[in-house]
Amino acid sequence: MLSEIVFHVNGKKIVYTGNPLTRLVDVLREDLGLTGVKEGCGEGECGACSVIKDGKLVTSCIIPVGAVNGSEIYTIEGIRDTEKGKCIIDAFAEGGAVQCGFCIPGMVMATYALLSSNPHPTEMEIRKGISGNICRCTGYDLIVESIKLASEKGGDLWA
Amino acid sequence: MGMTYIPSTLDEALHLRAEKKARPLAGGSDLMVQSKRGIGLAPEFPFDVMIITGLKELKGIRKLDDGSVEIGALSTPAEIADSDLVPWHVRQAASGMGAIALRNSATIGGNIGNASPKGDLPQPLILLDASVVLASIRGERQMLLDDFILGSKKTALGDDEIIKSIVIPDYDFTYLFYRKIGMRKANAISKLSLSVAAVVKDGEIIDFRAASGAAGPRVIRSRDAENLLKGHKTEEIPEIQESFLDSWNNAISPHAMPLYRRNTTRRMLSYFLSAIYSGKAEGIIEEED
Ligand SMILES: Cc1cc2nc3c(=O)[nH]c(=O)nc-3n(C[C@H](O)[C@H](O)[C@H](O)COP(=O)(O)OP(=O)(O)OC[C@H]3O[C@@H](n4cnc5c(N)ncnc54)[C@H](O)[C@@H]3O)c2cc1C
Ligand code: FES
Ligand code: FES
Repeated sequence: MLSEIVFHVNGKKIVYTGNPLTRLVDVLREDLGLTGVKEGCGEGECGACSVIKDGKLVTSCIIPVGAVNGSEIYTIEGIRDTEKGKCIIDAFAEGGAVQCGFCIPGMVMATYALLSSNPHPTEMEIRKGISGNICRCTGYDLIVESIKLASEKGGDLWA
Repeated sequence: MGMTYIPSTLDEALHLRAEKKARPLAGGSDLMVQSKRGIGLAPEFPFDVMIITGLKELKGIRKLDDGSVEIGALSTPAEIADSDLVPWHVRQAASGMGAIALRNSATIGGNIGNASPKGDLPQPLILLDASVVLASIRGERQMLLDDFILGSKKTALGDDEIIKSIVIPDYDFTYLFYRKIGMRKANAISKLSLSVAAVVKDGEIIDFRAASGAAGPRVIRSRDAENLLKGHKTEEIPEIQESFLDSWNNAISPHAMPLYRRNTTRRMLSYFLSAIYSGKAEGIIEEED
């Protein structure tokens, strides 16, 4: 039986001893101060709280912290200064993907997960890759264009 | 408010289940949302909960000696959709669940345990006569999924049992069909879904089955209707099609489905039958819309 939950966030070891049902999004934002993780719907529908868990995109609002023992979690804070992270963020800026910005950390995480498994996605694959991320501002087209840009500019980075 | 446990082995989990009646939380995508209390607040449950997400004994997809496939209860829709061991209908349903993030955290055990009529996986599993393996400190038992799901949100799960895996027998179908009609593209909960499969040999319908989901409190399958087709020649389809379709329609409980959904189901079934009749190439029947 586990009495503490041990996992890594952005490469740093975390030992959590509080309520295991606490939502991962609350641990990230409130205990660890990682406020790049946003909460929109709190029901797994909007993707604002997306993080990468063991290499896979998940929504941190529907996962209890007790379910991530032994996992490696990455948030926007953990990838934004990496080569891949910079490539996506630069492409989003260049492509004019950002309006209010609320959905963007989740979009960047979804893009990171997409390009890491599929370096040269088609437009359909891009739209599917971000289909769990809701943006109320942009109408998605500029985001899709920016993801194409990140795929082209990144080149070998994603291979 | 109940206690929360995190067992590290299946054995520990089974003891917690027997002694505390702790409810399993697998991916959490149903339980966390159903009991959500808002920003900064952990969900609360009026019963004890055990978080089983990490249990290795409930993971993995493997082929058994008799050719059937065993899917661990903690397998995610993403893992199921990606596995070439898993039968086509089930992979189709798994790949259509939610959006990517949901497919990475939901589980097949949770989809069955939740027993929502809107759940996507029971429908193709019941088409394929899949069974659930239930484990408790008393041992294991196996039963047909169609018998395990009793109704909307009701299952035959004992209060000391957990779902360990799902076993799907090996079949080789000549014709296959799957369709989910949802509300919007991502994170869509089914409004209606249909799986159909047939074995045709030398012009004879050896096996025929259809299962419909999200249509009523349970997945609908009608052996009576299926038997009306079995043993007949494909060239007889025009003569027997109507009685089959009527029998299928009658199997749907009167209030379960609005007329337009009945009509859609009927249209898809006739489409499939006419594809067989016209001697289409073996394999997946795609509807041209
Ligand atoms: C945004 C969103 C989109 C969704 N889209 C879909 C969709 O397209 N199609 C669909 O079918 N569903 C969908 N769902 C519902 C949900 O994701 C699925 O039902 C999922 O399979 C539940 O699995 P889980 O492990 O996350 O469930 P949990 O919440 O962990 O468990 C659900 C229930 O099953 C029980 N349980 C879990 N594991 C076991 C076990 N091993 N033994 C016994 N009981 C067990 C639990 O006690 C609980 O009662 C969606 C949910 C969300 C939040
Ligand atoms: S806040 Fe998690 S998906 Fe919307
Ligand atoms: S930029 Fe405002 S929600 Fe996407």
